[in-house]
Amino acid sequence: MNDLRARIAQIVERDRARIANGERGAKLAAPTETLSTRRDPSGLAAGFPSVATRPGAPTPGGPRSAPLADSSPPFVVHEKRIALDDLGLEIVGRGACDPLLVAHLGLKGDPPERWQDVLFLDTETTGLSGGTGTYVFLIGVAHFAGKELILRQHLLLDLGAERAFIAALKKEIEPFRACASYNGKSFDLPIIRTRFVMAIRSELTIDDSHLDLLHPARRLWRDRFGSTSLKQLEESVLDDGRIADVPGWLIPDAYFHYLRKRDPAIIAPVLEHNARDVISLVRITDRVARAVLAARTGRAPDHAPAAFALARGFERTGELDAAFACYESAYYDGDNALRAKLAIAFARHLERRGELERALRMMETLLDLGLGSSRWRGQAESRIRRLSKKRWRGLATAT
Amino acid sequence: MSPRTAVRFPARVSLEQILDTLARDPDFKQLVTRWERIPPRRASYAEFPAWLDGRISATLRRRGILSLYSHQADALETTHAGKHTVVVTPTASGKTLCYDLPVIDAIAKDPTARALYIFPTKALAQDQLTELERLAKDVDIELKTYTYDGDTPPAVRAAIRSAGHVVITNPDMLHTGILPHHTKWVKLFENLRYVVLDELHTYRGVFGSNVANVLRRLRRVCAFYGSHPVFICTSATIANPEELARRHVEDEVVVIDKNGAPRGEKVLVFVNPPVVNQSLGVRKSALFTGRDIAATLLASGVQTIAFTRSRVSTELLLTYLRARFPQPQWPPDLVRGYRGGYLPSERRAIERGLRDGSVRGVVSTNALELGIDIGALQAAVLIGYPGTVASTWQQMGRAGRREELSAAFLVATSLPVDQYVVQHPDYVLQRSPEAGLVNPDNLHLLVQHLKCGAFEIPFERKERFGTEDTPGVLSYLDEQGILHEADGRYHWSAQSFPAEGMSLRTATSDNVVVVDQTDGKQRVIGEIDRFGAPLTLHEQAIYLHEGRQLQVERLDWENAKAYVREVKVDYYTQAGESVRIRVLDEFARQDSPRFGRAHGEVLVSAIATIYKKLTMYTHENIGWGKIHIPEQELQTTSFWLSLSAHATAGWPRERVEVALAGLGNLLHGLAPLLLMCDPHDLGLAVEVRSPHTELPTIYLFDMTPGGVGFSERLFKWTDALLERAREHLDSCGCGTGCPSCVGPAHALGHDVREAVADLLALR
Repeated sequence: MNDLRARIAQIVERDRARIANGERGAKLAAPTETLSTRRDPSGLAAGFPSVATRPGAPTPGGPRSAPLADSSPPFVVHEKRIALDDLGLEIVGRGACDPLLVAHLGLKGDPPERWQDVLFLDTETTGLSGGTGTYVFLIGVAHFAGKELILRQHLLLDLGAERAFIAALKKEIEPFRACASYNGKSFDLPIIRTRFVMAIRSELTIDDSHLDLLHPARRLWRDRFGSTSLKQLEESVLDDGRIADVPGWLIPDAYFHYLRKRDPAIIAPVLEHNARDVISLVRITDRVARAVLAARTGRAPDHAPAAFALARGFERTGELDAAFACYESAYYDGDNALRAKLAIAFARHLERRGELERALRMMETLLDLGLGSSRWRGQAESRIRRLSKKRWRGLATAT
Repeated sequence: MSPRTAVRFPARVSLEQILDTLARDPDFKQLVTRWERIPPRRASYAEFPAWLDGRISATLRRRGILSLYSHQADALETTHAGKHTVVVTPTASGKTLCYDLPVIDAIAKDPTARALYIFPTKALAQDQLTELERLAKDVDIELKTYTYDGDTPPAVRAAIRSAGHVVITNPDMLHTGILPHHTKWVKLFENLRYVVLDELHTYRGVFGSNVANVLRRLRRVCAFYGSHPVFICTSATIANPEELARRHVEDEVVVIDKNGAPRGEKVLVFVNPPVVNQSLGVRKSALFTGRDIAATLLASGVQTIAFTRSRVSTELLLTYLRARFPQPQWPPDLVRGYRGGYLPSERRAIERGLRDGSVRGVVSTNALELGIDIGALQAAVLIGYPGTVASTWQQMGRAGRREELSAAFLVATSLPVDQYVVQHPDYVLQRSPEAGLVNPDNLHLLVQHLKCGAFEIPFERKERFGTEDTPGVLSYLDEQGILHEADGRYHWSAQSFPAEGMSLRTATSDNVVVVDQTDGKQRVIGEIDRFGAPLTLHEQAIYLHEGRQLQVERLDWENAKAYVREVKVDYYTQAGESVRIRVLDEFARQDSPRFGRAHGEVLVSAIATIYKKLTMYTHENIGWGKIHIPEQELQTTSFWLSLSAHATAGWPRERVEVALAGLGNLLHGLAPLLLMCDPHDLGLAVEVRSPHTELPTIYLFDMTPGGVGFSERLFKWTDALLERAREHLDSCGCGTGCPSCVGPAHALGHDVREAVADLLALR
């Protein structure tokens, strides 16, 4: 047996060395230590004096060699209620869900009817690569009830309890008809779907209607702020940056560390991180909605690429007046490259509104400036020909 | 033989006439070591089984297939009875129907049924797809077939996962793409009725040992979803199909090896090119001799395939042949090349051309040896022994139609194995072919796959994965934090994705690649395992590759790259290394009066010391240098053979040394024949006085860390190996020893052949 262990040890070590060479495996080890010893004062205690509903008590700080006693091992649910006014929400969570509006919020599937039907969610996982060996150990879900947002965080205290954890999550999700996430289409939902199969052999249907805010957020803000990570948007859009935060890539190791040490202080910053993510998701949704509504009433965003992105969104929903306003705004505020990009669509709008002169003038100016690719110039020229013909025809009928 | 034939395409001369001319040509006759005629065989038929869906038998009848060959009917019966089956019959015997029919039948009766086809290469998968789709369409049942491999566009992957009745893939994709994401394949795994393992004989050695572990993982996943598929395997003829299949399926497997397919008459010709340098044992290049034969056949309009052993020789032969058939007298597409590295569309076009006859000749690596559908050609020319009897029959089988005469030529190179085979054609003709060996319990491989398995589904505390030590391995990985035990199950608890970066095709991803920078471009032309690299790729070494001399300019040991450039020099280099073998554990041992044999676990330490520059023909030492590469260690299994004091009684020490080195070379050269492995899979070390046996000892060790089972076989088959060595030495045409037998006499000692013969004469 000892001999076997020695041989496995050799194999495992060699394998580790190989991985560490190629990747950042070596870097991972050190920061985990600092994370685990750091006692975050604003962690669990400060941020969440929450109601912990749990089917069994964990042994905090206990050695991992003494496994949890009860046969249905525990998971916990932390709950927190926040007033809508405290979140600064203007549209999301208030009143009915305007189907034309949610179409701008990265909707896939049918639009939800009421904001109360939408479950906002964000997961923390044991790895970023996906696949059947990646677990969801924490999921934060939030929904509207009355004048409050109710945030509930399900935390899995041991991997052995996954079945109960996922079963409870299924119950939590069931009443809702739609979900909202930040990059959930490609990350959170596939992983949750995998866990549903692995733990309870069940299908997941909540994302038949799904608002993935990553895409509209990107269109609105990437050009302006470079990154559109939630953290960046908190700083730039919400003006409410994070002070202390666990970097996402450290979270899996923090959880493995917690599994072995059972020290709540290790997991508290992760809970805090997740709560922030869910709340920011709700607030960002509101900001995107506000930008859409403002543009609809003629106040297109000052930032030209954002106005352009909204214009295209309005084209898709068939809100042509709003689209026109946004194109116009983007055209006047944008640089020449952006102008060339939107000119043909804008010209179509002008043409539809009968402003042929203006459309022609715009296209000719842009061509004179020598903008665009040769393909674009070809398109622009044929558009000009078409506009000229139409104008002549118009003049002819007038006389 | 008169290579410059004046016959103009498309004037046709029958194959019969060409063979007749060749047989009577005195120059050619000199080279022939055997001219074998295999008589035609009649078919043995059987009825369609009564349970077979009526639509299927009706379709087959419409296609003119009125009954099955007996082996097809046998396979249908066993698979229908739910028994794992391995069908062992030669190329073009209608193996595909042995699995297509049960699968189509199952799906015809139950549209939820699913099947998984596993092919060793992507190209084969493509071929099967077309075939199966055509059949299903004719039968008129809804059967969706997809290939799922690295080339599958992400957009269609979701559809394949849920809707594909038959998913065609390869072991590598199963390993990294399907099993770790099995929750996306619920429909497939819940309803998996059949798993088809085609070309089972290719799953041997390290690759096979890995595949056997992937199949263990596959069965775990199936069990998770409650399915217990029947495995249908097909294999070329090997010595131990039942054993190999059982190691892969880990259950009882029925062997079906009575071939019911007919075969036309066939002529097999063994050709040994003439000797051009007696003392060095150098013969005329097999490539030239092969070219002459192929050109003669092609010029007469005989559709011909030529097999070479490497990509480079494929290209060379293609160039030579094209030079023989210049345009515009000859059509430009008369001869095509075919090898890995060609675009898939290009390969499909060549395959089509071969089927419809517009391509008259093809030069290929062993890529076309497997069951790619190119129809049956009239003649095959094998440049060099393909390495195994099984491959030889596969390649020769590429020529051979059901009714007509066909011919196959095997042209030997100077390698010991080739020389043995061409001088003992019965080795190919009479003997049962090699055994396919795997060792799925090789701890190195097993631990890797156990990790992948834990990623896929947590392990139960008592669960067994191959070895009985599974709980031990699990608890160790738990202590290391790679797994995490909770609620009696071991969960994967690391961020990494264990299947990623883990290749099934090599045991260690540790190879030194050879980068040719002649002409200023960087081109990878080969790779050498890290353990063997210091000897051949040290700086200043002359590395021979396909007859070119390349000098190693720089060896980047850290990044495992050797940069070489073509040179023209009149010397070669020979590196000396000091190899120490420490026996860690002796598993078994058997002594006879002359030889002692044993096998066990060893630690091989090798350090390359110096290299010598030796002139080409006179082998004079014209310089030397030191090699600075750290010592290499390899823990593996080894076979060893020691000479008793009695065997060399009264011999001077020098003679013992010479005999030992010569016997070592001889055994090392011939062992691959028994083991169905590549010569590089086996390492050689000799010790005049081994610290373990205290006797002169030859070690033949497995080059894969941990070993894949070669040493145990050599221990069992020592007598056969010695017998083969004796035969080969008797018939080698050299006087005093050459690289084709005991090694060059000029380097070892003028009496080397005689000394080895003396040793072998004693039993």
